[in-house]
Amino acid sequence: MAVSTLIILAVFFAVFLGLAVLDIVMSKKKNQKYRVRSSATAYLMLLPAAVLAFLFILLPILYSLGYAFTNYYLLTPNDIKFIGFDNFVNVFKEIGEKGTLYHAIINTLIFVVGVVPLQIGMALGLALFTNRKVRGVKIFKVCFFAPVVISLSVTSFLWLQILSPSETGLLNSFLGLFGAKPHDWLRDPNTAMLCIIILSAWQGCGYQMLIFTSGLSNIRNDLYEAAALDGANAWQKFKTVTWPGLRSTFVYIIITVFIGACRVMTQPMLMTGYQDHTVTLSYYMYTQGYTYRWVGYSSAVALIMTIVIGTITLIQRRVFREK
Amino acid sequence: MKKIFKAISMLALTSVMACGIAACGGGDNGEVDSSGNTIVKIMFHVDEKSTEGQAYKKRIDAFNTAYKDKKIKASATYKARTAGASSYETELNLLKTEGTLPDIITFDAPNCASYAQSKYLYDISSLVPQDIQDDFLSLNKYDGKLYGLPIQESSAGFYYNKKIFRDANIDVSSYTVENPWTFDQFKQVCAQIKASGKTAVDMRMDATKDETATYLLYPFIYASGGSFASDDGYTATGYFDSAASQNGFRFLKDLIDNEYTSYAIGATDFFTGKVGMYLSSGWTIPDLDNKYKDTFASRDDWGLLPYPQGVAKASATGSWCFGITDNNRKDKSAAKELLLWLTSTESSEAITAATGMIAARKSVNKNYAPGSPEEVLLKQLQLTGTARPSTVAYPTFSICFNQVIAHLQNENLAGTLSAQTKSLQTEMNRLKNLKG
Repeated sequence: MAVSTLIILAVFFAVFLGLAVLDIVMSKKKNQKYRVRSSATAYLMLLPAAVLAFLFILLPILYSLGYAFTNYYLLTPNDIKFIGFDNFVNVFKEIGEKGTLYHAIINTLIFVVGVVPLQIGMALGLALFTNRKVRGVKIFKVCFFAPVVISLSVTSFLWLQILSPSETGLLNSFLGLFGAKPHDWLRDPNTAMLCIIILSAWQGCGYQMLIFTSGLSNIRNDLYEAAALDGANAWQKFKTVTWPGLRSTFVYIIITVFIGACRVMTQPMLMTGYQDHTVTLSYYMYTQGYTYRWVGYSSAVALIMTIVIGTITLIQRRVFREK
Repeated sequence: MKKIFKAISMLALTSVMACGIAACGGGDNGEVDSSGNTIVKIMFHVDEKSTEGQAYKKRIDAFNTAYKDKKIKASATYKARTAGASSYETELNLLKTEGTLPDIITFDAPNCASYAQSKYLYDISSLVPQDIQDDFLSLNKYDGKLYGLPIQESSAGFYYNKKIFRDANIDVSSYTVENPWTFDQFKQVCAQIKASGKTAVDMRMDATKDETATYLLYPFIYASGGSFASDDGYTATGYFDSAASQNGFRFLKDLIDNEYTSYAIGATDFFTGKVGMYLSSGWTIPDLDNKYKDTFASRDDWGLLPYPQGVAKASATGSWCFGITDNNRKDKSAAKELLLWLTSTESSEAITAATGMIAARKSVNKNYAPGSPEEVLLKQLQLTGTARPSTVAYPTFSICFNQVIAHLQNENLAGTLSAQTKSLQTEMNRLKNLKG
């Protein structure tokens, strides 16, 4: 294991131990023996998870932060030099020159703006549909959730067949029944990202449907009864009872779907390859880091992306907070 | 008693965690096993269960039997490449970062320059006897030094449906490797096939997600008198976007504009009799021999034509190779033995019998039947085989080439070429600065 990793691990242990001791000392439990023993046991139980989280989540983030200021080239790991903010300058230069990174940002924005409302809307609609007490509705729940358990790679390959540009492709042959000519859906810049948005929303909405369903089950029935007594119609019930009741669920879903949408990579990678009209930020970072082997530059892009997404997430939480 | 038991449990748990973390550091380098055998580690780029993987496994087992008395043992791992995200290359990079590269790796020929410069590969010029080097159809060299030996050779050509050609009254019997057809003759044949109601040719222009399109189409640029980079691999401007290179890309664009080919040809359209010609490598021969009997009952139903010539003759070449790594092991003698074993004439025969590719060794005489597709590919390799550009920026070159192919239907070919050349040159400049 690298010396730097061991040092960081030692610091982590020291900090963890320090926090544990501080907590035990600051504890206000009256029984001295019980306080020390129970707190020590709790921290020891926490230690394995904390170590794993540190090693596999926090440590890579710290390393990436460091690499962002270096010229780390993957094939020369022993020849890393500090280059200050050069990587960040190159990032903004690439954007200014409307290079691939510029296209990646635009495509990611388009994807996020498209998939977030579509996926959440579909999920909410499916949740409302399956929340009714109708015989056989559970089968629909299973069907709507089924795409979620299929991996994105498999989904992408399946949709490649549906969107095949030849006249025998599923979509083209269906539209051909109405006289439409075969279309190259994934090569056409006007339709490629739209197709990716639709398949992504289709694949993911089942999961959010379950979360919405859980949120709906927490809304008291007497509120609906009261609304019915007041003469509210279906839309008014949704607006005054359902929607307020789902608010916290909605905030959680919009934040998670937004973050997931920003990380889209599998679909364009497998369906179109590295093309300007479908490349996304994550795909760009991956290609820069692993194909072109510029780990330092890729880390700089990752850092900027993290700051932007984190900022937007904080704004979302502020906007949607309970007043 | 309970307190003692709890204390021991806590201690044991902490010790296990500490050992687990310590194990991450590597420990035993595994150079010699408990029986005193020198272990030579090799990593293959295919699935062990595949036909090719099984061929390698048999040769490894045979090596271990043959070298039992010499106390050398090969230990193989198989890391299959996958489309798009290459897990093999990723694993290689991770092992390099960890400092645990195996003794021998396989690598794709175009990566020789970048791997050699980045000290992945060991200079084997002095390890491989000259008479053995001379027996190879091609060698993997960079900066004058030898870094790899091909596992097998690869070439490509135009498989054609003889029935479609007969129905369209097309006679291609005079087009041979020694006397190939020209670009104009190629277009003429395409026009005749199109007139007969079939799609003329599948140029594999949709295969731009990986190396396939680059591998099959780059010879057209060389055949047009163009090129991609300077000899040192650090200049693309004036090469990738030269007038001659543009002519090569324009030839390919004309095929799309004239509707002789398109991006929308189905993967099996040639095999089901809808397309007259199919550009592919030797790996298609087993498919034609063993599958699609409805269309190709025997070799009387299909043939193989060489690449057409422009102002020059060029054909695809370059396949995967074996190379000894520049890992922390000083003594390369055991690795050398395994390398020479796996590239021997016996191994070459055994592996290519499984894969259907061309043997890398000249002395492996497969007695190909005159006029057979294997003979066409072998002759093409010998007479017109032209390697892909040797540059440390090869991954970027491949992506830029694919981008040009993917946008051939656009009107502004010169603009596309210019943009991709700029992108490639920027990358080359970065790598040159890194080199210092």
